[in-house]
Amino acid sequence: MSSSRKYAVAGLGVVAGPQPNHTRRQIAAEAVRRAILDAGLDREDIDGAIEVVRGAGAGERSAYADPFPRILALPVNFFFSVERGGALAGLGISAAMSFLDRGIAKYVALCGVVDDWTRAQETKAKGFRGMVHLEKEGAWGRALGDIRAFSHHSWMASRHMAEYGTTSRQLGAIAVAARAWACKNPEAKMYGRSMTLEDHQTSPLVVEPYHLLDICLISDGGIAFILTTAERARDLRKPPVYVLGQGFGEIERALWWEKKNYTHMAVKTAKEQAFGEAGLELNDVKCAQLYDCFTGEVLFQLEDYGWCNKGEGGPFVASGAIGPGGSIPVNTGGGLLSCYHLADLTGFAEAVRQLRGEAGERQVVACDIAMSTGHGGEMLSPGMCSIHSCTILGR
Amino acid sequence: MAGSDNVRIITAPYEKPLPNIDLDNEPFWDGLREHKFLLFKCKMCGAYYWPKAYCRFHENESFMGNLEWSEASGKGKVFAFNIHHWALHPGFKSDVPYVYALIQLDEGPLISSNVIDVDPKEVKVGMVVEIVFEDHPQEGFTLPKFTPAKG
Repeated sequence: MSSSRKYAVAGLGVVAGPQPNHTRRQIAAEAVRRAILDAGLDREDIDGAIEVVRGAGAGERSAYADPFPRILALPVNFFFSVERGGALAGLGISAAMSFLDRGIAKYVALCGVVDDWTRAQETKAKGFRGMVHLEKEGAWGRALGDIRAFSHHSWMASRHMAEYGTTSRQLGAIAVAARAWACKNPEAKMYGRSMTLEDHQTSPLVVEPYHLLDICLISDGGIAFILTTAERARDLRKPPVYVLGQGFGEIERALWWEKKNYTHMAVKTAKEQAFGEAGLELNDVKCAQLYDCFTGEVLFQLEDYGWCNKGEGGPFVASGAIGPGGSIPVNTGGGLLSCYHLADLTGFAEAVRQLRGEAGERQVVACDIAMSTGHGGEMLSPGMCSIHSCTILGR
Repeated sequence: MAGSDNVRIITAPYEKPLPNIDLDNEPFWDGLREHKFLLFKCKMCGAYYWPKAYCRFHENESFMGNLEWSEASGKGKVFAFNIHHWALHPGFKSDVPYVYALIQLDEGPLISSNVIDVDPKEVKVGMVVEIVFEDHPQEGFTLPKFTPAKG
């Protein structure tokens, strides 16, 4: 049975930028406090809470046990964590909707937090680059130099280049588009720092084929939102943003014998389910927030969803299709590449703002339908980056 | 089976992350130390897996009793690769630039490792490669690496 338009995002709370003086739990509590205020609710109204955690999705545990409901004294009847890399908002909403659907909760607070920027500063002095605190003990390739996400994600770009002739300059067009959007978003890390294709090409080759500017930011921050039923949302302070459809895909089985996730992502089922539930077509989407941990992931999704044919993503992005003024505005807040990296919460928050008409200089005209995707969650090496989530939101 | 031309002995102090050896993959690592490249093979239908998995083609015995670690060719092709120019961990400072590749083994499974003893610029998708056993005698383990196949 369809859940389309039965549930809505009623409140959004964002803590952006470096937070060296705040713990993760403080960032979470503050983001949730802001989301409750944004909705025009009181803390006493929140009867359910879900923490969304970026993790491998298997065999690892949440990082801390003093959660935002305790700190904010929320009168919740349940609190738990949903954990998976890159598809946090998508999975968290799905969980929240089941509680709302059964009448167990009226207003569910969801929150995700990262403190990667602060942690990365601490470890830089020891000679490490990037997010050493996320190293997974069980990962296969560490002894072989598989140290960061792009140590294996870059294979996807390598394979796409070999199969379809995609070039680094074409990937660079994705980074340039993201930066152009970020320069219209005062909350973005790269606001005010414009970038050209030549800047991309001359940035250091970190893990070839990826230049530094193919790689997402390392960020601190928290994003929280309040999910409730459509009827309740209509009585609140902000215009409701309805969940129109959701879908999920996993590609772990196809990986081993069909080697699919090196030029594809698990979009097929996610797209069918989400657009089917919403009763919409791809060209109904006014802006797409596509998970962009690296430029290659954006290229794959543009092809897999069908904005262009498989293998033709390079020329498509090089034409300017995804930047300001393009045919499909993508990652309109700057994305993980140029805004900040809070997994799929970054794009989800941007979709909410676009639909509310709160996106300022970057506002997409007549934006009534937006989508936000999640991706990632390496379950084991090599490069088994399998999950994909698609959430369609609308006014 | 393995000639000395596919063995490298490293005596310098090991400063990289240690390999993750656990109950599931211990026989694989034991094999490497003996210069045997093992894959997990189904005794019923001959399908190969890496890492361990239940055979996907038919019903299995309890706890994968129908599969066993079995010596494989150690040959394959580069399926995708990258060149690490930055040492993201201090242990790799003298290794950069190094190639980290996804290898499609002749038996089917994918495995990832370094392609060594080659100019990184020469590595291509589709390049035929074969196993090299990199012994670390002081630490007591052998790392599986690959090099362009000879002839």
